[in-house]
Amino acid sequence: MRRTHFALVAACCLAPSLAFGAAIEKSSDVPAKVLPPASIRFESPDVKEVPSLQRHVLPLMGRLGCSGRACHGSFQGQGGFRLSLFGYDFKTDFEAIVKSETPRVDVKKPAESMILAKTSSDVEDEHGGGKRMEKNSWQYRLISKWIEAGAPAVDEAKDPTFVKMEVRPTEIEYVKPGETTQLHVVAHWSDGTIEDVTPLCRFQTNDDAVAKVDVNGVITCVGKGDTHVVAFYDNGVVPVAVMLPVSDQVGPKYPNIPAKTKVDELVLTKLKKIGVVASDVCTDEEFLRRASLDVTGVLPTADEVRAFLADKSPNKRAAKVDELLSRPAYAAWWTTKLSDILGNSENQLRNSAPAKAGTHWYEWLHRRVADNVHYDDIVEGIVLAVSRTSPDQDYLEYCQEMTSYVRDDKPADFTARETMPYYWMRRNMRTSNEKALSFSYAFLGVRLQCAECHKHPFDQWSQYDFQHFTAFFDRITSGTGDREIAKELIAKAGVETDPKKVGGAKIRADLDRVARSGGVVPFSELYVRAPKAAPKGKKDKSKVAAAGRVLTPKVLGGDEIVDQNYDDPREPLMDWLRQKDNPYFARAFVNRVWAHYFNVGIVEPADDMNLANAPSNRELLDYLAAQFVEHDYDIKWLMREIVNSDTYQRSWLTNSTNEFDLRNFSHAVPRRLPAEVVYDAVVSATAGQSELARRAQDPVTNCAIGMSLSYTNRNNINNYALTVFGKPKRETPCDCERSNEPSLLQTVYLRNDQEMFRMIERPNGWLDAVTADLPGTQKKSSDPAAELRNKERELARMKERLKEETAKAKKNKGKVTANEAQRLLAMKDRAKEKMAELEAEIAALQSAGDQGKQAKPQSTAELINEAYLRTFTRYPTKDELATAEEYMKTAENPATGIRDLVWALLNTKEFVVNH
Amino acid sequence: MSQHRFCDGLKRRDFLKVGALGASLTLTDYLRLAKAGEVKSTAKAKAAIYIRLGGGPTHMDTFDMKPEAPVEYRGNLKPIKTNVPGMEICEKFPLLAKCADKFTILRGVSHTLAAHELGSKYLLTGNRPLPSIEFPSLGSIVSKELASPPDMPPFVAVPNTPQGGGFLGLQYGPFSTNAQPKQGQPFNVRGIGLQGGMTLTEVNRREQLLASVDNTFRSIEAKSDVLSGLDEFSEQAFAMISSKRAREAFDLGREDPSVAKRFGDGEVNQSALLAVRLIEAGARFVTLTTGSWDMHNDIWTRLDKNLPMVDQTLSALLMTLEERGLLESTAVIMTGEFGRTPKLNQRGGRDHWPRAMFVVMAGGGMKTGQVIGASDDKGQGPANEAIAPDDVATTLLTTLGIDTRKEYHTNTGRPIMISRDGKPISKLLG
Repeated sequence: MRRTHFALVAACCLAPSLAFGAAIEKSSDVPAKVLPPASIRFESPDVKEVPSLQRHVLPLMGRLGCSGRACHGSFQGQGGFRLSLFGYDFKTDFEAIVKSETPRVDVKKPAESMILAKTSSDVEDEHGGGKRMEKNSWQYRLISKWIEAGAPAVDEAKDPTFVKMEVRPTEIEYVKPGETTQLHVVAHWSDGTIEDVTPLCRFQTNDDAVAKVDVNGVITCVGKGDTHVVAFYDNGVVPVAVMLPVSDQVGPKYPNIPAKTKVDELVLTKLKKIGVVASDVCTDEEFLRRASLDVTGVLPTADEVRAFLADKSPNKRAAKVDELLSRPAYAAWWTTKLSDILGNSENQLRNSAPAKAGTHWYEWLHRRVADNVHYDDIVEGIVLAVSRTSPDQDYLEYCQEMTSYVRDDKPADFTARETMPYYWMRRNMRTSNEKALSFSYAFLGVRLQCAECHKHPFDQWSQYDFQHFTAFFDRITSGTGDREIAKELIAKAGVETDPKKVGGAKIRADLDRVARSGGVVPFSELYVRAPKAAPKGKKDKSKVAAAGRVLTPKVLGGDEIVDQNYDDPREPLMDWLRQKDNPYFARAFVNRVWAHYFNVGIVEPADDMNLANAPSNRELLDYLAAQFVEHDYDIKWLMREIVNSDTYQRSWLTNSTNEFDLRNFSHAVPRRLPAEVVYDAVVSATAGQSELARRAQDPVTNCAIGMSLSYTNRNNINNYALTVFGKPKRETPCDCERSNEPSLLQTVYLRNDQEMFRMIERPNGWLDAVTADLPGTQKKSSDPAAELRNKERELARMKERLKEETAKAKKNKGKVTANEAQRLLAMKDRAKEKMAELEAEIAALQSAGDQGKQAKPQSTAELINEAYLRTFTRYPTKDELATAEEYMKTAENPATGIRDLVWALLNTKEFVVNH
Repeated sequence: MSQHRFCDGLKRRDFLKVGALGASLTLTDYLRLAKAGEVKSTAKAKAAIYIRLGGGPTHMDTFDMKPEAPVEYRGNLKPIKTNVPGMEICEKFPLLAKCADKFTILRGVSHTLAAHELGSKYLLTGNRPLPSIEFPSLGSIVSKELASPPDMPPFVAVPNTPQGGGFLGLQYGPFSTNAQPKQGQPFNVRGIGLQGGMTLTEVNRREQLLASVDNTFRSIEAKSDVLSGLDEFSEQAFAMISSKRAREAFDLGREDPSVAKRFGDGEVNQSALLAVRLIEAGARFVTLTTGSWDMHNDIWTRLDKNLPMVDQTLSALLMTLEERGLLESTAVIMTGEFGRTPKLNQRGGRDHWPRAMFVVMAGGGMKTGQVIGASDDKGQGPANEAIAPDDVATTLLTTLGIDTRKEYHTNTGRPIMISRDGKPISKLLG
């Protein structure tokens, strides 16, 4: 016995206002008259009906496997016969079947048509794909009737269009494995026809460990869990929820677990259905570690752990969340996260923007994240960006403004600009197609790549949709605004730009040098071309002709836009994003943030919101997205809503019902820390007091979670550890660029890399300070005054060296190669950073000198406690303390003992995962 | 590593990877491919060495000379005879000329990607690059398909390579030495061997301590991919770090000085010796890179330096592999990302030219001492049928017993054959 839910499901493909996914609308109307399925109508040889290519023949061929990827749907076709992949290009397929040099149909002798004869032949080798149907079958008859009628094409003007599709039941709750359900699929056409298309659909299960589905749409329950079975027909994609409870603790038998927030309520509602019992709420230690790492990307300090554990206030967790959200590290880390999605990379801006573009981009975003500018406003500043800051700014003024941001001496504040144009100026954003892919990835969480070449196999998008969506971006261009002025500026700057004499890299480096010293140089700019219909647009006309496309922009699944009505076609696009019922904009962001906190999204992968990829908890996603919009896209509201829920604060300890649950948020899932976070965690855990303070104060420059050199520098400076831990390159529009998976190289690095050893024992690090007086430490100056003098000497030497190099560079001006010039610039940057570091350390030492010596742990037990607090955010258990004390006793000497302990703690699973 | 599991405890691929193509079709498909894929297993090779001449080596002045062509094509260098009748190579390759029976030259290898990055990706992955997919490099495929000893990295790059695991994931990426060994100098590789002045006893002691403090998750370890993965890598890393085999394989100081001398001391020479040692110890794929073949100007001076290096390195490599009984089981390939313009430019150089290039292949049970394919009379393109980089890669993988029709799935669930278009070059496979 099973409960099924009958309801209408609108496949929202061509419906004018698109409801995301399969919006469920209950309907009391029983469909007036449903045409029985083709398998029945074409049963009898006397059938008079003429089947349609779109509605019957091509879907049937898809079902028979003809248009599959490995057969005629392959890009090279098969045996000289090519069909569109998944059969949605009616025109091309018609040409291939009927009009090609070797037509696959013979209207005069239908039975001799290849698509009938070969596929029904018993002769081996007659058809590479083997026998697909019997001669007296309804399938054979259907195709044969179409050929007999003259194999008519699809008439786009006259033929009815696909409206929607319903699948029944919409949700199935099984009781035991082996139970089966026949799905029924009904298609609605614009002429009012309603047809049972069950025998013409493709079916797919999203998890064959839970349920399988056969070609006829019969679902068989396989095992415990929940998933979706998806039906595909024409442009319709409809998922059906299928579940078999994991335990008997369902409905009223479910234990009483209080729902603290709306999020908890929605999560528990789902868990109750599938008999998964949620884990308890985690400990304070776990909460502090988890929330700090997730919200700010930074490990709590030992002092912070002690204070939090000592705090007796009942609201301390919520108060901590507020505090974390106000820290500089929150802004630094989430700017990095947003930069990943937006693709901020200096490397991609090499030819189109000044050498500081990556930095400017980061800083522009950072200011807004820190001020909690609402998400839609941040996005508007990017989506609607143009280079010139006012309509009457001319090209020369624009170049002057750009120079003001780039010059070394008192640069102007780039972050004050209303818009940030670099998103559109990247090397991998040149064509409209690339812009459309990046846009839909970043702001809609939708992958359109498939539809670039064929109908999306798991979603409603066709090539038509893709091409019309790309039309929004046809007029978004970048280039040099005024060549004459550019020439004059170059002449004035005295830079050689003859491509026969110098390479591009050298030209860029030279221009950059002039700009840094305050000289005005030409810059590329982002602008919107006038619409093609505009009069006298000679240049534009030729471009349009060359591109050979006159398309009407059309938002995904929505309305067409009259291009000429807008100076900037991105305006209606931005308006569309902001519409309350936009099916993607808020959901994509909410889902990505959720995925950050829970390891998996409500839709997973988080950047793949296709119709077949149904959310694991639709109500939860609906609620969060609607409330996010309701709260004017307030990012910190969203963070609080998630982090303050019990659902986020559950323990990683599982019970027998939820131990295998990874999609329904019933317990915390241990996950490897992201690259930057793991690197920073090692640095923080081993850092001395002054360094910790410096990092907390300015994480943007001092931490890996902040502005990373590899994105803001052109010299491909890459931190080995970050690369090994899977920091994204930011080159392709996919969340999967970041890898949080463990690897052998990572483990080898943590265990045995010189950099790790140096980090653990670095001068002024924690170990250095606490072992200074321990036996086994080589005596060195532990005198702060002497250390201060050393640092000051180091700083002086550094300044001297920088002076020398600069003088040398000046002397060789014009003679050095571009590479050499770049190297010098990079060195200068590094030296400056190093000097800033030294200055900060000197300041810290001075103030430490003022306050007297730092408090140091005294006993072995205190040392061990401190090491645990720094790495695990908790005190050691009694056993752990005993083990560590024992080790310290047997170690060669206490200094070695504590060093080994720190090394071991850094190499545990507990350290490298968030849990 | 998949994160998606449910009640049966089995690993499940992301649902997208299960494939939306219909169960019956997939099966038919599979059977058909299995039938078509019945390539005779000639898998004598167990490992491969890839010598990458980065920058695009000239074919006209090395392995595909055109002495009959006009002077502005044929250039300054002359061909010499080799120990294989009719097979001629550049006069700067006297050592290779004496062992030409040990390798095969592919000529008229051809593609259309004239940019370094794209060309390199094509040759190193065997798949024409696509913007939407990062194909795995040959080394990553080999390390995924063939098992290697737990204490040896399966795929090593000396000093590094632009290609990694691609969509297969980081764990199949190369272990990069980040440095090239030089004759008579100590050589260290990041993370290999005992670092920081530690002894094996100390490492073992730390290992025990680590085991005793790493127990928090014991109850859920078996159910978590991440935790069990970390454990697995931890064991492997310890094996590698503490293993004598790995340490000694990377330690060129242990090599017979006369053998080291045979290799000489150019940029890449000692790296080739390191490759032999690594393969001997169980590594599956070693990539060597020498990146100074982009000769837009002044080609003759630069070839004077580069050609003797190739001559000595490759001949010493083949000789040493043979001496140690490894030549039959080690496939060797040497090539760049494209050839260079047949006609010299005005700056006395040659520019990028993907339409005609060469590939040298040896060992691995391949039929050597022959020339396969040909370029036209001026070296501008294939004379007859072109050999595609896909074919070269497929051949290399076939010698290693890898079925290139096998399908992988990208992280977006797209099914991808190891090589969609490649056909094994039958004349090479014995």
